[in-house]
Amino acid sequence: MWLSLIKNLVRSLAVLLVVTFVTFSLMFANGAGIAQAVLGLGATSEAIQAKVVELGLDQPLLVQYWNWLTGAVQGDLGMSFYTGESVSSGLATRVPVTLALIVVTLLLTAVLSVILGVTAAVRGGWVDRVLQFIAVLGTAVPAFIIAIALVYVLAIRWPVFPATGYVSPDVSFPGWVASLVLPVTALLIGAVAGAAQQFRSAVLDTLGRDFVRTLRARGINERYVVFRHVLRNSAAPGLTVLSLTMLGLLGGAVFIEQVFALPGMGQLAVSAAAISDVPMVMGTVLVTIVIVLVVNFLGDLAITILNPKARTR
Amino acid sequence: MRRIHARLAAPAAALALLLAAGCTGGATQGQAGSQSSAGAEKEQLTLAFETDPYGWDPSNQPGYQNWQAEAVWDQLVLCDANGKLQPNLADTFEITDQNKTFKAHIREGVKFSDGTPVDSAAVAASFDFVTKNGGAQGDYKGIKIATPDAQNVSITWPTSQQVMANKVCSPRIAPAAWLKAKKFDVPVGSGPYVLDTAATTTGSTYTFTKNEEHFAAENYPYKKLVVKVFASPAAAVAALRTGQVDAGLVNLADVAAVTGAGMEIKKFQGQTTRLLLTDHLGKVVEPIRDVKVRQAINMVFDKEAMAKNLYQGEAEPTAQVFRKGSDAYIEGLQDPYPYDVEKAKALMAEAGYADGFDLELPTIAGQNFETLMPYVTQQLAQINIRVKQVPLSGANAIGDVLSGKYPVVLWQLGNLGNSALQIYIESTPDGWWNLEHQPDEYVDSRWEQMATADEATSKTLQQEINKYIVDQAWFAPMVYTGSNFAFKADRVSIPTESDQEALTPKLRDFK
Repeated sequence: MWLSLIKNLVRSLAVLLVVTFVTFSLMFANGAGIAQAVLGLGATSEAIQAKVVELGLDQPLLVQYWNWLTGAVQGDLGMSFYTGESVSSGLATRVPVTLALIVVTLLLTAVLSVILGVTAAVRGGWVDRVLQFIAVLGTAVPAFIIAIALVYVLAIRWPVFPATGYVSPDVSFPGWVASLVLPVTALLIGAVAGAAQQFRSAVLDTLGRDFVRTLRARGINERYVVFRHVLRNSAAPGLTVLSLTMLGLLGGAVFIEQVFALPGMGQLAVSAAAISDVPMVMGTVLVTIVIVLVVNFLGDLAITILNPKARTR
Repeated sequence: MRRIHARLAAPAAALALLLAAGCTGGATQGQAGSQSSAGAEKEQLTLAFETDPYGWDPSNQPGYQNWQAEAVWDQLVLCDANGKLQPNLADTFEITDQNKTFKAHIREGVKFSDGTPVDSAAVAASFDFVTKNGGAQGDYKGIKIATPDAQNVSITWPTSQQVMANKVCSPRIAPAAWLKAKKFDVPVGSGPYVLDTAATTTGSTYTFTKNEEHFAAENYPYKKLVVKVFASPAAAVAALRTGQVDAGLVNLADVAAVTGAGMEIKKFQGQTTRLLLTDHLGKVVEPIRDVKVRQAINMVFDKEAMAKNLYQGEAEPTAQVFRKGSDAYIEGLQDPYPYDVEKAKALMAEAGYADGFDLELPTIAGQNFETLMPYVTQQLAQINIRVKQVPLSGANAIGDVLSGKYPVVLWQLGNLGNSALQIYIESTPDGWWNLEHQPDEYVDSRWEQMATADEATSKTLQQEINKYIVDQAWFAPMVYTGSNFAFKADRVSIPTESDQEALTPKLRDFK
């Protein structure tokens, strides 16, 4: 098991290097354009060239990437080309906002998906049909459309929740909750739609297994069979779906942060990419990759813990 | 299943309690945008901001929607809506030596937010800073700064300056030591507000508290200023409609939504939609060198129809690129190129281009191209000019537009209160919107004369340049357009307009 986890770690580092290099390469050879964008329309060619040199944009690609990489390894992600702000401190204020959004959404997704998936699989009938309908709806309607509708109904038409903005929990916990209700709901619908279906399928599959029939034949209580045995055996595909859901939430958060003006990493990534603020883009890409890899790692670890068969692989 | 329901009851109740707390927080949040009201003491002004300011380097502040810079820094003098100088840190000033020297007396007793005095050394350091930093270095090349004493400063250019006003009212005044250290994480200035770093999140919310000691404190009635960044226009509109912000720019399409929510609109007409036909010598697009071709291009656009249909009546047809009321504007000028496609075709034939030619037009986000470009393409096709659109994006986009690679550009370009500055930017060889940087003896000779001219003579020269530009069809002006600024009238009033670019109110305009 440990050998498998170490192999995963090495693969993850390789992925990190490849993705960051490709990203860096895509933004390369834009030095004069970046310098002009920083200085403004009236900048002279001398000023532009001086800014190119100041920002190190005249260096070859590999030199620039190496400088970035060695700095990143030491915790220095550089400074924004435009604001002069440290990338690390910029991310430090943004990442918690995005994490709050997606972690809260993920936790609610897990709880609701299990409840709905198990109920639909065990009881069937109208519950199952409602779940099928929600799954189609949640998959078909993009999260940002849901977000805009929620803003109109619950912030503008009937002002129950704030339309935009984020309140830090250390400033006001009720304010923090209020600022997350609509964004989380917008992401939750699509996330639950997909995950609940997967849980339902996994539970149905497990319910049809011989060992479940055997347990029932022994007269064991149905609730005990479902919660102690069926759920545990359905956990692997469910956790995999939740891992994938988390990654989907990372992407969805970019749009949601725009609609609700949340000062998160997604909004930072979009604005930095639009103006080719290379250090800030690289910082957001690095953090995103790390989150993806950590989520995958934790998912694998959880499956390994829950499923003894996985430990022998 | 009854026990399952029972087990779910506790978390469901907890969730309900959280939502109830959220509703309370939400209602409070929605009402906390501003507590000011007309006639009462002004507590807070909250503004919506389209793009994040680029940090606190005073030499690199945007000229547009720069409330955060206005809040923390003063300039030596102010430029009013017409680009004329007004006192600010300098209580008296004069321009001498045939528009080469600017002399100013700095008002006494003004301090920066770090407690150091605003004196001639700080002014000198601030002007020296912009000679080496920021995008306007060329404007200050070769200047000499003299500081005979702590309250007096003179700045001398090597040659006479046509737009001295703009060059002296632009630099932001900061302490010499702070500028030298170049550590711009927190701004230091003498402005009417001070940045509240504890309540500021870079890229999201900037909070400022009033500097009660400011020499013009009475012009800034709000105790607290909050500027919120909204990258998404939809989010800004939602914030305006729910009262989370007091004022902000809105797109034309969103005007109805915000006025329906009880907001008022202040219209600014700081732009002229036009084709720039900058290749007068035909070096890149040969047909453009012929004035008949340029005139023909002017005659295929029905300006009245454009104003009515493309701008929903929120634009005004024009034959001049300069703003009404500016020095270069010619009152009563008849449009020499009325809409007449047949005459345009005849002109093209006379010029030998009856079969037209191919033309690349760059397109870029934020310039209303999705509305304008189909019409422009269609109309140019009437005289057989085949448009190929070239989409530009990313940091290189503006650079590509200004590079001269595309001598003909469709743009909603600003018309400035200071028309001399506009002439420099658009029509002189050094101007960045004279994309091909081609000289012209008529314009350049009058530009030279403007350097030493008095106000009346400068105005005459500017109008001569304008007439020439119209006759030579250097542009195909279509309509005056601009921006819509929404504000909650029971919380804020905007009785004045100080922006020489006429795009948004200045901070000092909010009352």
